[in-house]
Amino acid sequence: MSTSEFNPEQQAIEYSDSSPVAIIKLALENFDNIAISFSGAEDVVLIDMATRINPDVNVFSLDTGRLHAETYRFIEQVREHYNLKIDVLSPETESVQNLVREKGLYSFYKDGHKECCGIRKVIPLRRKLTTLDAWITGQRKDQSPDTRSTVPVIERDAAFSTSEKQLIKFNPLANWSSADVWEYIRSNDVPFNALHQQGFISIGCEPCTRAVLPNQHERAGRWWWEEATQKECGLHEGNLKK
Amino acid sequence: MKITFVKKIKVDGNPCRKCAEVQSRLEKEGYMNRIDRTVIADERDMNSEGMQLAKQYSVNLAPFFLVENEGKEAIIYTVYFKFINEVLNGQTSEEEAAKDILDANPDLDFL
Repeated sequence: MSTSEFNPEQQAIEYSDSSPVAIIKLALENFDNIAISFSGAEDVVLIDMATRINPDVNVFSLDTGRLHAETYRFIEQVREHYNLKIDVLSPETESVQNLVREKGLYSFYKDGHKECCGIRKVIPLRRKLTTLDAWITGQRKDQSPDTRSTVPVIERDAAFSTSEKQLIKFNPLANWSSADVWEYIRSNDVPFNALHQQGFISIGCEPCTRAVLPNQHERAGRWWWEEATQKECGLHEGNLKK
Repeated sequence: MKITFVKKIKVDGNPCRKCAEVQSRLEKEGYMNRIDRTVIADERDMNSEGMQLAKQYSVNLAPFFLVENEGKEAIIYTVYFKFINEVLNGQTSEEEAAKDILDANPDLDFL
C-alpha cells in the first residue's frame, strides 16, 4: 500500500486500544517498505513481536559513535538471536569532525545536546527515512510526561514527511508502561541490554545517560543538566484554553 | 501570499530562546523582508493575537509561521527549515535542519 491510501488518523482511532502485536501486524501487512527503529534498549520487544510475523523484518539502529560498549554488544546479540540483518547507521564523518574540531568532544554539556544529537542521530535518521514509506518506533507515553504524553499508536510523521512524500509512523508501545514492557521481556525470554541491570532505564549515548535511583523517572537519566530549558518553546495548551 | 511570523514572550517577559534564534536567522539570511507581519504570542496575555492564532490553528509550539494564500487553506509551519525550503525556496544546512527538527520534536532525541 502507498502512504496516500493509508489513513493514519482513522487507523489510530481504530487501533487506539489494540495490542502492540496487532499494531505491528497492521503495519507489516500494509507496508512492504517499512523498518523498525531499534535503539539497543527495551524496544527490543518490537523485534521479538515483529519477527514472529515476518522473520525478515527490516531493522535499523543509529550508531552515534558514543554508545555504551554494552549497547554495541547487545545490538550484536540481537542480530544473532533473531538472525537479522540490522542496518547500523553511522553519522556523516565530516559533520562529526567539524563539530569536534570546533567545540570538542563534550560540547553538549555546555551548549545543550541538540547540536550533537542532530549530527549523530537526526541527520542519519532523516536520510534513512527518506528511503522508507513507514517506520516503527518504541516510543511510549510514559517515557516523558513532557514530550510523549500524547504519542498516538499510528500517526503521519510530522517531523520527516515532506511536501512530496508522506511518512507513516507506528508507535505500537505508545500505551504500554515500562512495567508492561518488562513483563513481556521476562515472559518471553527476550534478551536485554546489560545496562538495565546496572540501574539504567532509558539508554542513549554514554556521556548523556546515567543510571537513576529507585522511583526516579527515567527522564532523569538523560540530559539531566539541562532540564530547566526543556519546555521553553511550548505554547501551553492549558493556557490557551483559558 | 501572506506570511505571519508568530513569536512568543514567556511568562517572565523574555522572548523564548528558539523564537529569538529564528528571528536572528531570518535577519541574517535576508528573509525578514519576506515576512508580512510579526505577531506576539504573549503568555501573560491569553488574548494577545499570537495566542489567539495558536488557539485557532491548534499550534502548541513557538515560533510558528502562518502562510495564507487566497482561496486556499492556511498552512502552519513550526519547523524553520521546512518553512524556508517549502515557502521561500531557500536552503538550510543539514545540521541546521536537524536542530530545527529536534527543537520542534523534542521526543526524537530519545531514539
